[in-house]
This record gives sequence, structure tokens and C-alpha cells, in this order.
Amino acid sequence: MSSGRDVAISIRNFVKRFGDIVAVRGLNLDIYDREIFGLLGPNGSGKSTTMLTIATVYRPTEGDIYVYGKSVSRESDEVRKYVGIAFQEPKAMWIDKPIEILTWHARVIGYSMSDARRVVREVMEMLDLWEQRNKMFSELSGGTRKKVEVAKVLIQRPRVAIFDEPTAQLDVIAKHIVWKAIKELSREGSTVIVATNEMYEAEALSERIGIIYKGELKGLGTPAELKDKIPGGDIIEIHIEGSLDPLTKQMLAEKLGAYKIDHNNGLIRIYVDKGEEKITPAIEMLSNKVKIKMISMKEPSLDDVFMFFTGARLGE
Amino acid sequence: MINIRNISIIISRDLQRFWKYRWWLAGLITMNLADLFIFALLFNNMVRRDLIPNYFLFIATGIAAIASFASAFSIGREVGVEIRRNYTQYLLSLPLSRIELAFGRILSGTVRGLIYQTPFIILLFILIDLPSPLQIIYILIASTLLSTTMSSISIAISTATRNFDMQATLRSFTYFILFFISNVFYPDALIRQRFPGVLYNIAYYNPVSLTVSLFRIIFKIYATPPSGYSELHIIMYLAIWALISMFMGGYLYIRNLEK
Ligand SMILES: Nc1ncnc2c1ncn2[C@@H]1O[C@H](COP(=O)(O)OP(=O)(O)O)[C@@H](O)[C@H]1O
Ligand SMILES: [Mg+2]
Repeated sequence: MSSGRDVAISIRNFVKRFGDIVAVRGLNLDIYDREIFGLLGPNGSGKSTTMLTIATVYRPTEGDIYVYGKSVSRESDEVRKYVGIAFQEPKAMWIDKPIEILTWHARVIGYSMSDARRVVREVMEMLDLWEQRNKMFSELSGGTRKKVEVAKVLIQRPRVAIFDEPTAQLDVIAKHIVWKAIKELSREGSTVIVATNEMYEAEALSERIGIIYKGELKGLGTPAELKDKIPGGDIIEIHIEGSLDPLTKQMLAEKLGAYKIDHNNGLIRIYVDKGEEKITPAIEMLSNKVKIKMISMKEPSLDDVFMFFTGARLGE
Repeated sequence: MINIRNISIIISRDLQRFWKYRWWLAGLITMNLADLFIFALLFNNMVRRDLIPNYFLFIATGIAAIASFASAFSIGREVGVEIRRNYTQYLLSLPLSRIELAFGRILSGTVRGLIYQTPFIILLFILIDLPSPLQIIYILIASTLLSTTMSSISIAISTATRNFDMQATLRSFTYFILFFISNVFYPDALIRQRFPGVLYNIAYYNPVSLTVSLFRIIFKIYATPPSGYSELHIIMYLAIWALISMFMGGYLYIRNLEK
């Protein structure tokens, strides 16, 4: 695969518990230098926990994470010099104004006052924030707050840029502006990690995607590789009335040589090779058991990939 | 390991916020001053002249110390709000060492205390006398140490427990002890007479009392200065207070914010 590329972030047997809750259970993952990596999973999967640990906000319960060779548990002061993060929940005090928040951010990450003013203005104008610079944070809409949060990392241009659901609450135009800015950041040499629960965003941005579910990595690769990993490259979808009994399901699997059959809410998804040859036998087997409403065949989408690796739909 | 620029940038943020509360602060100052005058008028003719020749000035020196104590203490309330809103996660992610972050926050409280106290000290200069340069340096050192102690203790309280009601209770309790079991309102001789031993010791070593005593010595408020005190003794005690509380506050701040 992509072996031979330099590793920027190396996550090793990473476990994070909060009391009884296990947020991440034994994650192993390498993120390559200068790639855009998408961490995809529904809410509660452990994406934020992982990102906050890379940013040294949380400490690993077990295992460790290395950022350009520096351990987040033992060398966190060093790690922070590399990392910038835009949090899922924008971080600001309510009486602060965007211009103050961002200028202070620019100062604290190392800009001189005059450079800070210039860079802050550039980024704010790009994100269409400049007009709102003197409003109190409490008066801003959810989308505007999110943009202020994203602006921090765009100002910082860190070696490792982390965006936790950067476009949640943004309208389509703003989404595209942010995506463009993130790609630009990557072209300039930053390693970018984007957490998202939107398939479309993961595919639009990422060179590689990690599918995370219930604190475990379920799948990893480029979008194309992930699609190829589904053993039955084709999916036959059959909408039926009523439900399928387990015995019929098992017989169907044997007869068609299916890798996997999912069945819920009247939709049967059969993962097979050479799907076009399997449609007729499938119909023959099912027609005297259930009422078939519709049948179709398709290549896997990333949604299917997600479903295949986790057994769940995004948003569940 | 400690970069002065980083510390000063942390302080600048806390001062910017302090400045936003300036009208609220002006109100607070006015209230403190009003208290001062009312107290003084009430008591001036009631207290024993042999102990305190001028009760108004006696109280005025006490209020000056209370001023820095109160405003340095304000940093703790903000740290508490930051934790509640998870804002602290942002601070923890910044390219600052943990030590810079902790000491930056503590020193923010120190600077707030000093700024807020300045008008009161100037008032003393006007009302009483301009002390010698050395004495002004003593005042500055004592105020810095007192503010640092208060800032650290308030940060320690806000980070020692996640229970916000508990924080509020602890804060009021500490405030109460430091404020009332002190020599701000009554002279040391009276405290020695009336307070049981433990309370007397608290009142004696209370950093607010120590600072107030220093002011009273410098501004010659006492008819006979209390024995056992010299300016340097007081500053030494205050330095011990500041050091211990600074390490305690810094340690709790970092340890309890990192999960
Ligand atoms: N600070 C915390 N305290 C307790 N539980 C937490 C905390 N942060 C996350 N969790 C729990 O850990 C799990 C993973 O959460 P999170 O990392 O936020 O997932 P995601 O970002 O993928 O939505 C969830 O069950 C969440 O409730
Ligand atoms: Mg999240």
C-alpha cells in the first residue's frame, strides 16, 4: 500500500477511558506526513477523544500517540508546538469578540502584533467574518462561531492541523470555502486530520479515510481501496414486503455464494461477486417466500463501505 | 522552559477581560470607598485612642489590602467559568508549556490585584504621607506577594473540585476567614485579648493581616507598633505564603485540567 511514506502521527494501542466509559479501545493507526486524513464515524465513536489526545488536551489511559516522534504522554510540551486544533464545540468566552479571540490566538502562537493583525484580517475576510469582527461571541450564530474556530487553525498553519467536524452547521457555500482552505493548508505542507460524520465531507477532502465505530478502527484506506475491500464488489438490493426468515437468509447466502447479507426494514443487501449472474437465482429463491417490490444492483458507495465495515449506518 | 513572552501574552488576555469589567470594578471601588467612610465615621469616636489614634486611617489601610485581595481573587471565578464551558481545553492545546500556562494565570491575578490596589495606595499617600522610596518598594513587594497568594488560592479552589456549588462555598468560606479573622477592623491588641488562641494565630498569620500590618507600620497608624513585627519579617512571611500557594495553585490547575 502506501508504505514508505513518512509517518507524521503514530497511534499505538491507544485506549481512553472516562470512568466506566471506554471512548477508544485499542486504536492503532499511522497518519502520513502531509496527507489529509479523514476520521469518519457516527457520534460517540471516539473521534473527538482521539483528536483531543493528539492535541494533548487528554492523556491516554493506555498506549501512546507520537507526533513527529514526540510522545503525547511524555513530551506534551513538544507535541503542542506542532499541533493546532479547531474544536468541535467552538472555544471562546461569551464576552469576547472574534477580532480579539483571533488576534490573541495569533499572538500566542507566535506572530508579532503587526503580523497578527494582517493575518487575522486575511483569514477573516476569506471566511467572510470580517463584518462580524466586533460582535460579542454570544451574539454570533452557530455557523459563525464555527468559522471563528476554524479560523484559528488557518491563522496558525501548524504542521499538524486538526479539524473536528469543521463544517457542521455551515451552509453549502461556507462548507466549500472551508474545504478549499483546508486543501490549501495541506498543499503548503501541513498534515491534516478531519473528523466528520458526513460521508460526503470525508470523500470530498480526504486522501485516506479511517472508519471508526464504537472506539475501534473498522476500516482504513483511500476511498477506492475501501470500496475494493468489500469482498462482494457488487451489492444486490432487494426491497420486499414482510420479513425474511433466518433459514431462507442462510440458504440464499449459500446458493449465491454471498459474502454477507444484511437485512433490515424490508431491504435485503446481498454482497456478491458477479452480481449480474446472481439476480435471477435470487428472484427464483425469494419469489415463493416473500413479495418482491423492487430489485437493483449497484457498485458500493462509501456509505456501503461504512455499512459493510460497521454493520451500521452513519447517523445511527 | 519558561518563556517571558508567552507569560506576558497570557496576562494580556486576562487584563483585556479585566478591562471589560472596568465599570463593574469602578462600582466595586466606589462601594469599598463608601464602606470605608461609613465605617470610619461610625467608629472614629468609639474606639480607644490609646490603641488607634485615628480609626479612619486605620480602616483605610485595611481596605487597601482588601482591594488587592478581592480583585486577585476574581481570577478564580473566571477559571471556574472556563472549566464549566470547556474553554480550558483550548488553553491546554496552545503551544505553551504547562508551567507557563499555570504561572501565567496566577500572575494575571497578581497584576489585577496590583492594578486595583493602586488607587487605594495613592489615596493613602494623599491622606497620610508619602513614604520613603524603600517603604514604597516594601509596599509594592507586599502587595505583589499578597495578590499572588490570593490569585493562587482562588485558582486552587476553582480546580480542586468539579462541583461548582462546592467551589462557591469554599470561595465564600476562604473569603470570610481572610476578611474577618484578620486585623482589618480591629487592632492586634484587641484580637489578642478577645480571640481564642487558634483564631488569634489565624488572624496573625493571615496574609491580609500581614499586609495590613505592614501598611500600618509604614503609614504610622499605630500608637505603639505591635511587637515582633518588622517590615522584613512580614515580607518573609508573605513570601512563604506566596510560594506555597503558588505551587499548590499551579499544581492543582494543571493536574485537574488534564484528563
Ligand atoms: N470528557 C468526557 N467525559 C466522559 N465521557 C466522555 C468525554 N468525552 C467523550 N466521552 C464519551 O466517549 C465516547 C466517545 O465520544 P467522542 O470522542 O466525543 O466521540 P465522537 O467525537 O466520535 O462523537 C462517547 O460515549 C462520549 O460520551
Ligand atoms: Mg466529536
